[in-house]
Amino acid sequence: MRLLLAEDDPDLSLRLKRYLGKQGFAVDAVHNGVDAEFNGRETPYDAIVLDLGLPQRSGLEVLANWRSAEVKTPVLILTARDSWQEKVRGLQQGADDYLTKPFQEEELLARLQALIRRNTGTVGKTLTVDGWVLDEETQSVSRDEQHWELTGIEFRLLRYCMLHPGRILSKTQLTEHIYEQDADKDSNVIEVYVKRLREKLGKDIIATRRGQGYVFGRQA
Amino acid sequence: MTSLRARLGLGLVSSLVVMIGLLWLTVGISVRTLMEDQLASRLAHDAESLLGGLSIDAAGHASLDARRIQGIYQQPYSGHYFQVDVEGEVLRSRSLWDAVLPVPRVALGETRVDFITGPQQQALLLWTRGFRKQDRMVQIAVAEELDAMLAAMQGFRLRLAAWSLTLLFLLLLIQRYIVVRSLRSVSAAADDVVRLEQGDISALDERVPDEVRPLVAAINKLLQRQQQRLLRSREALGNLAHGIKTPLTVLQQLGSEKIPPDDVEAHAQWQRYSRQINEQVDQSLRRARLAGDSLGASHFDLRTDLPPLVDTLNRLHRDKSIVFRQHTGESVTLPMEQQDGMELLGNLLDNAWKWAHSRVLLTVEHDTQWRILVEDDGPGIDAAGLQLLAQRGMRQDENMPGHGIGLSIVKSLVEELSGTLQFRASPSLGGLQVCITLGSRA
Repeated sequence: MRLLLAEDDPDLSLRLKRYLGKQGFAVDAVHNGVDAEFNGRETPYDAIVLDLGLPQRSGLEVLANWRSAEVKTPVLILTARDSWQEKVRGLQQGADDYLTKPFQEEELLARLQALIRRNTGTVGKTLTVDGWVLDEETQSVSRDEQHWELTGIEFRLLRYCMLHPGRILSKTQLTEHIYEQDADKDSNVIEVYVKRLREKLGKDIIATRRGQGYVFGRQA
Repeated sequence: MTSLRARLGLGLVSSLVVMIGLLWLTVGISVRTLMEDQLASRLAHDAESLLGGLSIDAAGHASLDARRIQGIYQQPYSGHYFQVDVEGEVLRSRSLWDAVLPVPRVALGETRVDFITGPQQQALLLWTRGFRKQDRMVQIAVAEELDAMLAAMQGFRLRLAAWSLTLLFLLLLIQRYIVVRSLRSVSAAADDVVRLEQGDISALDERVPDEVRPLVAAINKLLQRQQQRLLRSREALGNLAHGIKTPLTVLQQLGSEKIPPDDVEAHAQWQRYSRQINEQVDQSLRRARLAGDSLGASHFDLRTDLPPLVDTLNRLHRDKSIVFRQHTGESVTLPMEQQDGMELLGNLLDNAWKWAHSRVLLTVEHDTQWRILVEDDGPGIDAAGLQLLAQRGMRQDENMPGHGIGLSIVKSLVEELSGTLQFRASPSLGGLQVCITLGSRA
């Protein structure tokens, strides 16, 4: 899952990036409205955390510009202003949820997970596909009483696959959603991790479509 | 007297009455003087011809040439008389019969005009002059009855009065029309003020007469300043919130991270204090943000402001499917500033959404006062809880985040608008019913 985090306070931004990174998200952090708008428009993020009090371009304006440019990425608004006027304006502008500062990191995570699940049409607290149960908290997967621990990248890859079962996922797409912006993006690495997941969980978990990409699930 | 219309009216009426009265008097007096002068000059002519017809013989007897005497002087009591005195010898017209005119003594060359009462109580104008003829002192007095002239004068005065009154009446009508017309724009401005209070308009129309324009412009400027100040202070409050809340977020997270997990007491304290800071800031900021009873602010519009709010609530409570109904009748706006209304209904409806099973109802009634009712079909609250709610403006269950503050902001706003806030069981839906009563400002 790749996230855009637009927050101008450097400390808060760093903390959230670290925390969300630990939770298996690839996080790109930006600190002003102009960068936020550019990144949100150019990169297919899975969710965006947008602070409304951004310098250079206000969060609401950035949001409005994304929506009018058909950027449909789910957006979670972070704001210090808690008036209903602000909430209504934010949500009418196209935000999907709203979190008022101060907040606990866990609260942000829960809202983000709910947002992403809602966006991919998944319901329920744990992610279950074809008998595979992914526990986001422990970053582990289980099936028929069996249990596997996953490394960070394995978890990210499997979660993305499970959120899009039966769909062809290209290497580029997987890279984009699993790594942050400044990471070393070598699409061959994806092959390595797919291989590792197959070794761990069984050969059939991810199928290869030559020249197209990978497909997760029974339909494959 | 404070009515401009009455004052103008009275001033104009009295000046018109004085002017027309003076006119009437002057014209009356002038016409009378003119007629008297004319009469006197006729009498002078008669006297001249009498003097011409007067002859004094050698013995000193005076006689009048009868041919020179007009017939009217021969008829008894005809109203035309003369009396000629030649050094004690008096010749009188036949018309005098036996009467004698009370002729004053005049010196030679002196002329007198008198008003006297003649025979048969006739009002007479008496013209007297002293002459010298054949070295004898001759005093000729000629009189003519005034009654006809007085009657004519009376008739003239009456006609003049009638015309004056008609003119006065016409002028009054015209002035009333002018006053009403010129004051119409002032009444329009007064009507504007009422509409301003009701929140239908945000500024007064400045197309008014020059005399009133400075006043209207001053009011508009004041309103504009007030709006700007509200906007600025809200902006500043927003910035302040941003400035406090972001560091507070970091502090909170740092605290829960850095305090050793086994120090339960320190954790509890840390959480309690950071929550206290947050709630204090929230409460003060929210109260400061309220516009309250401010003139010229746009009001909460049920047609344009409510649908986005309901849509927002539906999105924020996506896990629920709430059927929202509104009974707002003819009401279009709520009697409060737009953001205040958003805050009030936002908090009340959010509360209802949180607790409702499936239905939320908003009712707005407006007759002599406003009633705003928000009710849900949730579990409701028992009697003791309702009392506590009324006292503190807090919902008992403090596990629901944001609950207490939400209702306490509603309470502040209602107090600001001098209204009342009541909590009771909803008769139709069974959950909680919040009832706000506000006095009508218009």
